[in-house]
Amino acid sequence: MSSTSLGGLLRRPEAGAALGLIAVLIFFAFFGGVTFLKPAGMASWLNVAANLGVIAIPLGLLMIAGELDISVGAMVPFGAMTVAVVSGHYDMPIWLGVAMALSFGVIVGLVNGILVVKTAVPSLIVTLGSLFAVQGVVLGLTVLITKSTSVALSVEGPAKAMFGDFLFGGQLQVMALWWLGLTALYIFFVHFSPFGNWIFAMGGDKVSARNAGIPTDRLTIILFVLSATSAAFVGMSQAILYNSAQVAGGQSFIFNAIISVVVGGVLLTGGFGSVVGIFFGTITFAIVTQGIYYTDFDRNWSSLIIGVLLLGAVLMNNTFRKMALSATTKKKGAKA
Amino acid sequence: MAFLKSMAKALATTALVAAGSAAMAADIAVVGGSNDDAFWNIIKKGIDDATPAVEANGGTVTYLRLVNYDNFAPDVVQLIRTAISMEVDGLVIPNWVPEAEDPAIKDAMAAGIKVILMNAGGADKATELGAINYVGSDEYVAGVAGGEYFAGAGQKNVLCINTLPGTANIEARCKGVIDGVTGKGGKGAQLPLPSTSFGDATAVAEAIKAELLKDETIDGVITISAGDADSAAIAVEQAGKTGATKLGSFDMNQAGLDRIKAGTQAFAIDQQPYLQSYLAVSLLASSIDFGTDLPVFPVLTGPGIVDASNIDATLAGVKLGAR
Repeated sequence: MSSTSLGGLLRRPEAGAALGLIAVLIFFAFFGGVTFLKPAGMASWLNVAANLGVIAIPLGLLMIAGELDISVGAMVPFGAMTVAVVSGHYDMPIWLGVAMALSFGVIVGLVNGILVVKTAVPSLIVTLGSLFAVQGVVLGLTVLITKSTSVALSVEGPAKAMFGDFLFGGQLQVMALWWLGLTALYIFFVHFSPFGNWIFAMGGDKVSARNAGIPTDRLTIILFVLSATSAAFVGMSQAILYNSAQVAGGQSFIFNAIISVVVGGVLLTGGFGSVVGIFFGTITFAIVTQGIYYTDFDRNWSSLIIGVLLLGAVLMNNTFRKMALSATTKKKGAKA
Repeated sequence: MAFLKSMAKALATTALVAAGSAAMAADIAVVGGSNDDAFWNIIKKGIDDATPAVEANGGTVTYLRLVNYDNFAPDVVQLIRTAISMEVDGLVIPNWVPEAEDPAIKDAMAAGIKVILMNAGGADKATELGAINYVGSDEYVAGVAGGEYFAGAGQKNVLCINTLPGTANIEARCKGVIDGVTGKGGKGAQLPLPSTSFGDATAVAEAIKAELLKDETIDGVITISAGDADSAAIAVEQAGKTGATKLGSFDMNQAGLDRIKAGTQAFAIDQQPYLQSYLAVSLLASSIDFGTDLPVFPVLTGPGIVDASNIDATLAGVKLGAR
């Protein structure tokens, strides 16, 4: 019985992701030395993971449901620029800037979702369009309004403490709390409510899911709203933290989030994955990209090392998934 | 950011000398970047301020601007052709796309138009084409000035944060910084950040923080763009190195100027676009009208260092649209 529970644990979707995480942690603890494991070093990758993770989970849910949203790359600067223009350039109350940044996220998410549902054009193409469109809007409007591509923003008081500060004046960004809280919420909704089963069913077979009475259209739109709004939220918080917003940037979030999701065990084809797996995948990605700076490796090789380690993590994940799936089959065969 | 800015810079320099009437008075065309580009509006301020002197001698100045950057090289060449057809006496042009622009610039010279390269192109290109001068900045020289500034302030170990590794003009900036600080007895290194961190302020900040924690002797950090300096400022603070590690940046934005004013950033390196157009137009007009020949070649408008000693004057210049 005890061996079954261990096997059961290893067969969970997040098992491979957890092992990949442990592997890279050991790798960098070895090559990165003590500084990497000190609080400041841990905060270094946790902060990166937090900013990425808030976007990666809704993006991962979309991928589980068989969709993709790459417009998040434009929503990050859009959120940042909105709050900087409203509350920095125009000097309006910060809460108005926050509300506007988030509502633009909701609007773009609605447009993405409705277009995907109504036109049946693949979501990669729809959101590629909105990626460019939103980038254009950000650049055009910012320059039109401020005559500049960089806008300064200075926030004090509760808004700074809530979105763009360090916890207890320490090393960890407030974003880490948001990330943990949101992850807990997602775990509840995805794994302990019907909402979650619907998402998996959609990724497995959308037509059957609709025939089974699952409101696939509404769910798709909700997921797109979540991902776009999360990206706008991260951009907004970064602008408040760094006191400034730029029109460019944010595109790295697209690939970084997709990589985190895949390292976390989500199938690119949809239907398989878990929130905890994405959570681990995001930390793995952050450790790999930030851990490099604590090592003595020549920095010119950073990208190569990042690529190899990530590929290793995904392969480990795949191997475990196959082992897990085939183990079950064998059992059935043995019984029969 | 850096791409946009350099592109805008390049665009702005295409000003043509327009419509000269009197044989002696200088009719000058200046080619420049689009209206909604902040950099080229500073260039315009320099042209506007130089124009009264040209007009006082009976000449004219025309600023030919690109409408947008969608069809860049052909549009720039078209503006050069426009200047030639306007029969101007002088042309101030940024040499952004040499392979496309060079034939048109040669045609202009064949038509008897005197040419000054501005903002983009460099001294070697000006010599090659036979332009009378190059007015602009040199990324390497700017970097050296930054490195020497650090050394002069007592910094011994400087890290140049390169968020766009592989970009020639950006590499020149970091190389200059390293040469500048090592020439004064300190040491310097470049930190090339992988593309996974480009545009993610937190990833850039955490990378810089990690380097500062790993190597306690780093006492100077310089970023290749103004936006990256926003990340670096947080990194220095988070590493607990405020005051000990000095921060510098290439280019400047409002947040950076605010930090210099507040004392949390040491300096910013400015290429001073106002001087580029102001000097280019004045030099060209004086050469055409009076046959003057400036022995200084090339005319470098940067690096201008903005630090605590001149921040108030700089902020005043920003208000007037000249910085």
